[in-house]
Amino acid sequence: MLDLHNLRLAENGVPHLDSITASFAPGTLTTILGRTGAGKTSLLRAIAGLAIPDAGEIRLDGADWRRLPPWKRPIAMVTQQFINYPHLPVLDNVAFPLVRRGEKWPAARDAARAMLDKVGLAAMVDRRPSQLSGGQQQRVAIARALVKKAPVLLLDEPFVNLDYKLREGLREELVEMLRTETGTTVLYASTEPREALQLGDRIMLMAEGRLLDAGDPRAIFERPATLEAAQVVNAPPINIVPLEIDTVARMGPFGTQELGALGRDLAPGRYRLGLRAGDIAPGGPHRARVILTEVSGSETVTHLDLAGLPLVMHEKSVVAHAPGSEIGISARLDRGFVFAANGALISQGASHG
Amino acid sequence: MYRQKYLFLLPGLIALTAIILFPLIFTIRVSFSGWDVYNPGLSWAGVKNYVRLFEDTRYWSALSRLSLLAISTVLIQYVLGFALALMVWKDVHARRFFRVLFLVPMMTTPVIMSVIWRTIFHESLGPLNPLLDAIVLGGQPWLSSPGWAFAAVMIVEIWQWTPFMFLLLLAGLLSLPSEPYLAAKIDGAGPVRTFFSVTFPGLAAISVGALLIRLIEASKILDTVYVLTSGGPGEATETASYYIYIRGLRDFQIGYSAALSITYLVIMIVALTIIAKLMVRFLVKGQS
Repeated sequence: MLDLHNLRLAENGVPHLDSITASFAPGTLTTILGRTGAGKTSLLRAIAGLAIPDAGEIRLDGADWRRLPPWKRPIAMVTQQFINYPHLPVLDNVAFPLVRRGEKWPAARDAARAMLDKVGLAAMVDRRPSQLSGGQQQRVAIARALVKKAPVLLLDEPFVNLDYKLREGLREELVEMLRTETGTTVLYASTEPREALQLGDRIMLMAEGRLLDAGDPRAIFERPATLEAAQVVNAPPINIVPLEIDTVARMGPFGTQELGALGRDLAPGRYRLGLRAGDIAPGGPHRARVILTEVSGSETVTHLDLAGLPLVMHEKSVVAHAPGSEIGISARLDRGFVFAANGALISQGASHG
Repeated sequence: MYRQKYLFLLPGLIALTAIILFPLIFTIRVSFSGWDVYNPGLSWAGVKNYVRLFEDTRYWSALSRLSLLAISTVLIQYVLGFALALMVWKDVHARRFFRVLFLVPMMTTPVIMSVIWRTIFHESLGPLNPLLDAIVLGGQPWLSSPGWAFAAVMIVEIWQWTPFMFLLLLAGLLSLPSEPYLAAKIDGAGPVRTFFSVTFPGLAAISVGALLIRLIEASKILDTVYVLTSGGPGEATETASYYIYIRGLRDFQIGYSAALSITYLVIMIVALTIIAKLMVRFLVKGQS
């Protein structure tokens, strides 16, 4: 069991890790989800020993790692950059950690060859990393991490610098390989909620160095505990609509609305309504100005301005809304999340998922 | 077609011929002459000079002495230069000051520094022996004993040219990517193993270049020997280049010294080519 207790790390007064306490069971894959600067990399670097925490404890099966240098920690790590040894051929790149662990070169090379076969690089063993494509270089790095069979495997956005198709393919391959690695504690840092939902047995949300929430990925996606967690777990980002309840519900530019079950138990006061981008659709009574349209694969994300309120609309088709044009939109307000002034979730609409 | 392209090559060809080929061919011609103080001119002497040099044990001794001096001083310069570069590579206090300080010897004039070193090594008037006496090591006959005189030449050479190694290796260290160091830490390599598995291989190519440049330079050593020991005591510090200088410009045996020079040049080209190939094979290609 990998235990983190009250882990704190700051650089130049900026907190990178703020009192992180968490446990990771052997054989589980935890996705650490957060935006850029959330502290994911700092957390992995602290576990690896590459960054020294200001306070707190890191323990593996009770053994204190505070004074253990990185090269003595039983970990493997894959980073965003394609990190390999430029002067070594691919085979020796993968064999190197085994040799460092005390194995002889021939045995280490045999194990490395078998692992390279698994990642589809059997034909490239004699090449240097610089002679490989980006995806192949990252496969070498993954093979080097997996061949160690370390009890803790740290994956810091390993596919972020690859193109979409390659990323999808490699991610599936990695998950397939990790299935056979029983007993390994895997921590996978990601900025993509979709990736987190696909991959992890468990999800851990982070923002500004803090741990926001942890648990089952589906449950957190369906019921984010706070507005901050909802912002992290949704991509495109969740829309925030001001909500004021007295005798009726007033929702900023959406005007007076009937909230139905969502607003039934809400006391009069000010709230914030979280609305997923997929719950806003083209065609409807509200006129919004198109700011920007992003097409990704077969999906379209449109950034809108509704009377000064920024909104994001997600359509599962390729649509070209001209920037500057006005379009009518509608919102499934009954599917929203109501957050209190302090950000806590107090009510949510039906049938999410 | 496009025959005029050769016209554009002509200026370079003329310069090459004038600067390199003509002196070389002229020296080869002189080496087959009996030109000396009594018979100036290019009188044909056949291979007489070459036959003579093969029997000249003083020349071959000077050549082997030069080889020993060049290889040992360059290797020590490399080790020291590497150590100094590693010292000021990372964030150490006042590293800019030390980086400049370590370069000072290279900026000085070799002849002048040799004069200063001769004063330092002076057995009765120099400051070195009293210093050695004070720290119980005892003064040494620096310039009058064959072994110590050879050591003195080595010390001056090492002192003067270690900064060159330092400069090249520091530039190499500063250009090394940081990622392999991260990988090495994760893969279980401590600082010493990281040096041998990441730093040293990363600098292999630049090391070969630096060693070759210094070997070429060191094989021409003349000024330090001339000022410091004049090849003595006896012939203890006489190098091939200094011996050629004696035969040519002191004894005025121009034909013979030209033959010595040509032989010396051929030996150096062959030796340095072999050394370069071996270094590339073992340091650059054979890192795995």
